[in-house]
Formats: sequence, structure tokens, C-alpha cells
Amino acid sequence: MKARKHLALFANYAIIIVLGLLFILPFIYTIYTSLVSTRDVNKLVSITNWTFDNYIMYFTNDAYNVPRWFLNTTIMTGAVIVGNLIVNPLAAFALAKLNFKGKKIIYWIVLATMMVPYHMILIPVYVNMANLGWLNTFLALVIPFLYQSLYIFMLRQFFVTVPNEFMEAARIDGMSKIGLFWKIVYPLARSPLITMSILAFAGTWNSYLIPSTLTNTPKMYVLVVGLNSVKDAVFENTALIMAGVVLTTLPILIFFFLFQKQYIEGISSSGIKG
Amino acid sequence: MSVSRNNSKSIQPYPYKKQSWFSSFADSDNKVGWLFILPFLILWAWWFFYPFVQSFIRSFQDMNFAAMDEAKFIGLNNFIQILQDPEFFQAVLHSLQIVLIAVPTQTILGLLMALLVNQKIKGKGIFRTIFFIPYITSQIAVTTVFMMLFKQGTFLTNFFGIFGFGDVTWFADTSYALIFVAILFIFQQAGFSMIVYLAALQEVPKDLYEAAGIDGASKWDKFRYITVPFVKPISFFVISVSTILGFQIYDQIAAISRYGALGSPAGATSTVVTYFYQHGIRYMNIGYGSAAVLLFFFIILIITFLQKKLLDDKE
Repeated sequence: MKARKHLALFANYAIIIVLGLLFILPFIYTIYTSLVSTRDVNKLVSITNWTFDNYIMYFTNDAYNVPRWFLNTTIMTGAVIVGNLIVNPLAAFALAKLNFKGKKIIYWIVLATMMVPYHMILIPVYVNMANLGWLNTFLALVIPFLYQSLYIFMLRQFFVTVPNEFMEAARIDGMSKIGLFWKIVYPLARSPLITMSILAFAGTWNSYLIPSTLTNTPKMYVLVVGLNSVKDAVFENTALIMAGVVLTTLPILIFFFLFQKQYIEGISSSGIKG
Repeated sequence: MSVSRNNSKSIQPYPYKKQSWFSSFADSDNKVGWLFILPFLILWAWWFFYPFVQSFIRSFQDMNFAAMDEAKFIGLNNFIQILQDPEFFQAVLHSLQIVLIAVPTQTILGLLMALLVNQKIKGKGIFRTIFFIPYITSQIAVTTVFMMLFKQGTFLTNFFGIFGFGDVTWFADTSYALIFVAILFIFQQAGFSMIVYLAALQEVPKDLYEAAGIDGASKWDKFRYITVPFVKPISFFVISVSTILGFQIYDQIAAISRYGALGSPAGATSTVVTYFYQHGIRYMNIGYGSAAVLLFFFIILIITFLQKKLLDDKE
């Protein structure tokens, strides 16, 4: 009996370690390859032969404008999050706590929009952007994404749970509905708003379909689009490409380790990536 | 409740001032409600509803981006043309293949990983993080890494060589490229499913297992009669989410296609998404592309509906 138990435990460890290696080895290979010179790719070399040349290339060669792409990605992601922090809670609060005419229709609109994949409207969005002259500008990358119906729904579910006594108490204090929202309800929603921002950050930072459609000049690339262009341009130079992968992925990994707990909670409660 | 409402009537807000225009505005549910909805509604109407209607109308038009004014209504012609295009059926088939391979695999893998890290073993936190990292990494980055790994002469391909695999540049091989895309999807999506399953597993009452243990239930029995019924409802969620995402795969294919047409090599990875993208955006054939998008949406609706029926009946 005891031997069987030991065997089961051993099997457990064996499976989890093999799976773990399968998942982590590609990343270790990436980091290792990014640190060796081109001729040492796919050879094991000692640490004394490691080099940062691949990384330096991205900061000195104008063809791979990583600092600029990093800036673009940061501006896009930052602006989208700020927009979502304003537009979504306002709409969600109205849907949860204010009785206005047409509320049912608006709620229905939010639910229906959640179900439609963005692919559905990509072609007309691209054409309209082109006609407005917005292609290759931040307007294109930010304006349509300042709200997200999924997050409005998530926040509404939270606001519904805020007791109505808060509203009554505020009225007694002579506070308006607007004041009530900004001074009382908004600070209360701290935790769902943080969850929303984290999901929006990950979703926007990693997005490729939309930025690659709405931009085509290297100056306006975001990191992910830039990485893809580098990969295609210097396909044989594995070491350089891998350094690009590390540079692109590092910010989101740091971010993940900082907010791991909230991020995982956000996913298991909402179940959806931004 | 009724008491406080009475109070609010007897204690007027701003007792020293007459009600200003602002305070009467800011006290009305109707006005404040619409004010708060307005930013969302404007953005939605401008950048969702309007394009949505455009997409619908244009699918019945012959419209090219180069000559938008010459658009004319051609009824169902776009749809008829698409349905006569063998490439479209190939694309639908590829989408279905990706979903049929990747969705069950990633669901089972996700459950397995959740069960593994839900045990009392050392370093389970580290493993949970390791399994989850691919999910938060960009699809382009993961695809790039795998393309580099599957080039000739890498550690991986040399290792495969021992088992007699000669050429392992799967992403450039018409018979393996689709599997390559499915593997990439599994690699990234399994971590998400693991997290969702993990949340469900932690809801299972511990004493159920203990009681079953006293009754002499084997490990398999416990899994079959306690764990499975508990994670069943969440499985529907995991499967439907990954099915929809599987149909929407784009980034991985765009990365593999490099400078070639989307769905390279030689159309081996073309999907419904790359089909409409290629026609609607790359060839700027807006009407035709819009019709293809509508068919794409229609396929997703049918699959979602079928899945719901199928999985609900099993309950």
C-alpha cells in the first residue's frame, strides 16, 4: 500500500515536471539565444561568450526602432485604459442605479455588443479610418477602444451590489447624483476597476490584429507589430529576433508578476481576456 | 427603506439656497442617466453600430476601396460567388480542423494541469505560473519563438532528428502548418482553462473526498463521481470560449505567413478569418469581404447554438 502511494506521488511529480519543462523550455531557449552572438546560436557556449549586442542593436539601429515602438505601445495602452476608467463606470453606474428612459434598450445594446467579435466590423472601421485620414495616427488606435461593453457589464454587476442605503444617505447630506457617483460609488469600485484595468492592459498591449490593420508605417508600429516586421525582415538571424521577443514580452511579464493575484482573480471571475 | 425616504423628504438638500439649475439637473435620474450613458453611446454609435450597419449593407454591394462611389447593389451575388469559391470551403474546413484538434486537447490539458497544481505538492505555485505564462504573452511573440525553434539545425530539430524526423520546418510545410497553428493555440489557451478549472476545483468541498475515502472509494472513483460533476458546468464555459477564440485565430497565421498571402504556405493555414481579411482589406474588395464576414459570423452563431444544445442535453 505504501509503495503504491509512493509510486503515485512519483508519477505525479514526473508528469508535472515534464509538462512544466515543455512549457518553460521555449522561453529559456529564447532568453539564452538572445544572449549569444549569431554564430553561437544553437550551440552551448559558456557565460563568458555571452553578449548584449543583440539588444544594443535595437537601441542603435534606426531600422528597428524599439524605443519608438515602446512609446507608441505605452501611449496606446495608457490612453485606452484611461478612457475605459471613465466611460465604462459612468455607463455601468447609470445602468445599475439610475432609472432613466430607454435603460432597457441600452442594457440590451451592451449585451449584444459583447457577443459580436471585432472581426465583424473591422473592414468598415478600416475604410472609415482611411477616409478620416486617421490611419497611422493614435486616434485610430485609441478612440474606438475607449469603451468596452464587456467591462461595462462586469462593472454593472458590481454596482448592482452597492446597497441603495448609500444613495439615500447621500441624498440626506444634500449630495447630487453626480457627486454621489464621483465621491462615493467610484472609490467603492476600486477593486473591480483595478481588475478591469489589468485585463485591458494585457489585451491592449498584446493586440496585433487592430494595430497591424490601422498602421503601416514603421514609425507608428506598436511593439508586437514591430516584432513581427523584424522577424520577417531578418528571419535567419535567430539571435536578434529572440532579443526582440524578450524586449516585447518583458514589460507584460513584469506587469504580470506585479499584479498576478488580481489578474488571476479577474480571469477566474470574468473568464475573459481583455 | 421607507423611513429613510420619508427623512429625505423632510430634510431638503441645500436648505440655504434655492435649487439651482445644476442641482435640479444633477438630481434627476433621467438627465443624469443619459449624461452618464452619453460617452459610451456616442462611441458605440460611431465606432460599432455605424460600421456594423455598413458591413451589412456592403455585403450586398459590389464595392471596391479604390472606387467607393461606383458601388452598386448586386443582391446576393457576393454570397453566391463566395459559396462557389473552393478556397472558401477550404478555409471553413481549416477553421473546423483547428477547432476540432485544439479545443478538446486544450480543455483536457487545462483540466490536467489544474488537477496537478491543485494537489499538495512542492512548488505548485511555480508550476501554475509556468503553465500560465504563455497565455499572457503575445501570440506574435509565441509564434515567433516556435518558428525559430522549428528552423533546421536547432536544439529541438536535432532532437527530433534522433527519432527520424528529417525536415521539421512545420510552419513552412503544407501538411503540418495547420497542426502547427493548432499547437500554438493549445500552448497558449491551456493556461487560461487551467485557471478557470482551478477556481472550480477549489469550490469542491474537501469533506466529500474524505467521506468517499472512508467508504473505500478509489482515486479514480473520487475523480469520476465527485470532481467531474463539479467541473462539468465550467467545462461548457471553457469549451465555448475556446471554440469562439479558435474560430477567430488570426495573429499566429499572420506571423507564419510572413510576406506571403495570408494563410501561407500555399493556403494551408487559410481560415474564415484570413479569407475575409485577404479579400476585404488586402485586396480592398469591400463588398465581397463584408459578405465573407457575415458568413463567418453566421458560422460562429450556428456552432455556438449547436454546442449549447449538445452540451445541455448531456446534463
